[in-house]
Amino acid sequence: MKFKCQEGIEYSSTLLFLVLFDFMEKFLMKGWMRLSKFKRRPMAAAVLAAILFASGISGCQKGENRIESQETAAQAASETKGKGPGDGKTEAGMDVEAKDSVIVVMGPSSEPEAGFDPAYGWGAGEHVHEPLIQSTLTVTTKDLRIDYDLATDMKVSEDGLTWTVTIRDDVKFTDGEALDAGDVAFTYNTLRDTSSVNDFTMLKEAAALDDTTVEFRLNRPYSIWPYTMAITGIVPEHAYGPDYGRNPIGSGRYIMKQWDKGQQVIFEANPDYYGEAPKMKRVTILFMDEDAAYAAALSGQVDLAYTSAAYSDQTVDGYHLFSCETVDNRGFNLPAIPAGEADENGMALGNDFTSDIGVRRAINLAIDREAMIENVLNGHGTAAYSVCDKMPWYNPAAKTEYDPDMAEAILEESGWRKGADGIREKNGRKAEFALLYPAGDSVRQALAAETANQLSEFGIQVDIEGAGWDTAYDRAQSTPLMWGWGAHTPMELYNIYHTKPDGAYAEYSPYRNEAVDRAMDQALESGNLEESYELWKEAQWNGTTGITQDGDLPWIWLVNIDHLYWVKDGLQVAEQKLHPHGHGWSIVNNVDQWTWNWN
Amino acid sequence: MTGNKRRMTAICFIGAVVFLSTVTILGSFWQEAAVETDFSRKNLAPCARYLFGTDWMGRDMFIRTVTGLSMSIRIGLLTAAVSAVIAFFLGLSAAVMGRFVDGIVTMMIDLVMGVPHMLLLILISFACGKGFWGVTAGIAFTHWASLARLIRGEVLQLKESQYIKIAEKLGKSRFYIAFFHMAPNLAPQFVTGLILMFPHAILHEASITFLGFGLSPEKPAIGIILSESMKYLAMGKWWLALFPGLFLVLVVLMFHCAGQAVCRMIDPGSAHE
Repeated sequence: MKFKCQEGIEYSSTLLFLVLFDFMEKFLMKGWMRLSKFKRRPMAAAVLAAILFASGISGCQKGENRIESQETAAQAASETKGKGPGDGKTEAGMDVEAKDSVIVVMGPSSEPEAGFDPAYGWGAGEHVHEPLIQSTLTVTTKDLRIDYDLATDMKVSEDGLTWTVTIRDDVKFTDGEALDAGDVAFTYNTLRDTSSVNDFTMLKEAAALDDTTVEFRLNRPYSIWPYTMAITGIVPEHAYGPDYGRNPIGSGRYIMKQWDKGQQVIFEANPDYYGEAPKMKRVTILFMDEDAAYAAALSGQVDLAYTSAAYSDQTVDGYHLFSCETVDNRGFNLPAIPAGEADENGMALGNDFTSDIGVRRAINLAIDREAMIENVLNGHGTAAYSVCDKMPWYNPAAKTEYDPDMAEAILEESGWRKGADGIREKNGRKAEFALLYPAGDSVRQALAAETANQLSEFGIQVDIEGAGWDTAYDRAQSTPLMWGWGAHTPMELYNIYHTKPDGAYAEYSPYRNEAVDRAMDQALESGNLEESYELWKEAQWNGTTGITQDGDLPWIWLVNIDHLYWVKDGLQVAEQKLHPHGHGWSIVNNVDQWTWNWN
Repeated sequence: MTGNKRRMTAICFIGAVVFLSTVTILGSFWQEAAVETDFSRKNLAPCARYLFGTDWMGRDMFIRTVTGLSMSIRIGLLTAAVSAVIAFFLGLSAAVMGRFVDGIVTMMIDLVMGVPHMLLLILISFACGKGFWGVTAGIAFTHWASLARLIRGEVLQLKESQYIKIAEKLGKSRFYIAFFHMAPNLAPQFVTGLILMFPHAILHEASITFLGFGLSPEKPAIGIILSESMKYLAMGKWWLALFPGLFLVLVVLMFHCAGQAVCRMIDPGSAHE
C-alpha cells in the first residue's frame, strides 16, 4: 500500500543512513586490521553492530505496529460509512449515503501528554482550544467576543471581585449524572490548586450558591474572566481522580471512545448532548509527523491533514489546500534597556544596540512583511503588527507600512552612519545584533534568515543562531529571539508588555512603561468587557505613549502564519475563528458542524 | 611490477591529498556563502549553476556541502591529532612503565571500547555543552582507544627484540629507550593509524550532527544537511540527500585511499603483498 510504503521511507531512510555509517565503519576496520599484526577483531565494532541491529529491529517493529493500528483505525472509521476511504473508485460513483465520520491528522506534539484533563492543559494549556469532551461556561464567538455555553447569565460585582454565573439545569454528564453548580465550583477550585499550565492565581474560591448558581470570588479584579471560562472544561466531581485524564467524562459534544497513546484518539458524538446534535458522529485524530501526514494525504487515507508552507507548492489528488487565518504570530523582542544590568539570578539584561529607540523604529519600518510572507510562507500568511492582530482589543495604530526611506532617515538621525564595509556605526560601535531562533523550527529559522537579509540592506548586520529552549528564555533577556505567540485572550498583552508583579521589567524581554502598565491594570479592573477592550487598546497606544511604532516598540511583529491543511474534496470544514498559536486542536473546535457533501 | 605498483600508490596518495585539500581550502573560503540565504532561488533542482540544487531557503547546496565537509575535515584533523597524541602516550606508557600502569591503561581502553561508540560520543558532547567544542571534545576523547591498543601491542613486541634488550643491558633508562629506540620504530604504524583515524572522526562528526547533538542548524555541517534533507524526501527532492551523501562517502574513501597508500609506502613489506 502506498501509505505503508511512504511511512516506510521515513524509517528505512533513517536506517539506511545508520547502516551506511555502520558499513563504512566496518570497511574502515579492515584498514585497521591490515595495520595491526594481532588479528584481533575489536569487540566494539561487534557491540556497536549488535546495538544498531537491535535498535533497527525494534524501530521497525514500532513503526509497523503504528502503521497497522492506524490502518485499523482508518478501516474502523470507514466501516461506519461502509466504503473504503482510500478507494478513489468508490468515491466517484458512490451512491451518497450520509458519511458522518472524519479522520484528522495532527502533529505528534498535539497529543495531550497527561490526557484529557483540564488541570493538565487540555484546552486550557499553552495552546488554547475548545475541550470538545467537556462543556465550558462560556465560548468565544467568531469575532472572539463572549457567548454562553453552560452559562445562562453572568454578573460581576461593582468592585470586580465577585462573578455570579447561573447555568443551565438540563445538562447531564455522559455517565448519566446531572451537572450542577457544585461540579463547576469543584472544577475551578481543583484547577486553582493543581493547574500547572494556566494561571488561576486570581481566583480565591468558587462556591455553589444553589444547583444552578455559582459564585467566583477573586483576589484581584479580572475583567477578562469570561475568556478563562471559555477554555475551562467542567469535570464531574463524582468521577474525578488521578486517572481522569485517561478516562475523561464530560458533558460536551463528544465522548472519548478510545485512546492509543502515541497513535490516535477516537471521539464519538454524545447522544445526550444538550445543544445541537453533532453532525459528525465519529472523529478520529491521528498523530503524525509532517512528512508522514503528507504521505497519508497522498495515499488518500485521511480526510484532513495538517501541513506547512514548505509543502504548499505540492498538489495532492483528491485534496485541496485549506488555509486558515490565524493570530499565530511570529516576531522578535528587542531588549529596550542598555546592557549592564542583571536580574536577581545574575542573568544579563539588556542590549546596547537595541536599546536605541531610533534603531527599533527603523527596524520596524525596514521590514517588508509582504516580501517575507511571499518568500518564507509561500504567500500563506498575513502581516502582523501586534501580538493580537484582528482581536477585539487590537489597536490599529500599531499598523506600520514598509518605508525604507524613513527607516534610513531615522538611522541617520540617530547617528548611525554607514562605515567602509557598508555596516553602520555610531561612536565606534557597529550596528549589529544576534537573532536567536528555536533550533528545531525551520519556519522561524527562515524568518530569522529573511530578517537578516532585509536588514543587511539598511547596514544592520544580523547573525542568526539556533538555540534550544533550555537556554533561549534566559538569553532572550539580552538577545533578540524569534518568538511565536497569539491567544484568544488579552492576557497575552499583559504577559508580554506588563512589568512582572515582583520584578523590575516585563517577563520575556526587559521593558517597562508605567503608562502602559496602568492602562492594563485599569483594563483588568474594568467592570465591563467592551470598556476593557478600549483600555487594552489604550495600553498599546494612547496618543502619546505605548508599544507601537510611535511608542517604545519593544517587540517587532512580522507575520501571522496561516494554518494549512490538506482537505479531502467533499469535506465541508465549518467556518473557523482565527486560530491561536499552536497548529493543533483549533481546527476541530467546530468539528461537530462539519459535513460531507458529494456533488 | 613493483615499480608500477609503487607509482600507482604514489599517484593515489597525491590525488587523494589534492582532492581533500581542495575541499578543505574551498570550504574555508566559502564560510560566508554557505549560510547565505536567497529566497529568489529556493527549491531549485540541480543545474549547471547550482550543481547540487538549492534548498527551501535558497542556499546553494554544493557550497554548503563542500563547506560542511571542509569543517568535517578540519574537525577530523584536530580530533585525530589529539586522539593520536593521547594514544601514543598511553600506548607507550602502558608498555614501558610496568604492569600496574599497563593494567590501568588496558582497562581504560576496554572501557572506552566496550561502551557503544555513538553513546559515549553523545554523552561527552552533551557534557561539554554541545556545539562545536562539544562535538570536537566528544570525538577527540573517544577515538584514541584502538590506536592505543595497537601501539601497546607493538611496544610489547619490540620489548622482546634483541636491540632493546641490549640497550637495557647497557644501562639506558626506560624513557631513553622508549623515546629514542622505540618511537622511531613505531612511526609507520603511528602515521598510518593517524590518517586512518580521519574517516572515523568524520563519519562520527556526521552522525552526531545528524542526530542533532551537534551544531546550530544554520551552520553548514554534513550531518545537518543530511537530516534536513530527510524531511524533503517525501516531496521527491531526492537531490538534497543524494549528492551530499555521495560527497561524504567520496571524502571518506579518499582518506581511506590516502591511508592505505601511506601504509604501503612507509612499510615496504606490504608493497610486495
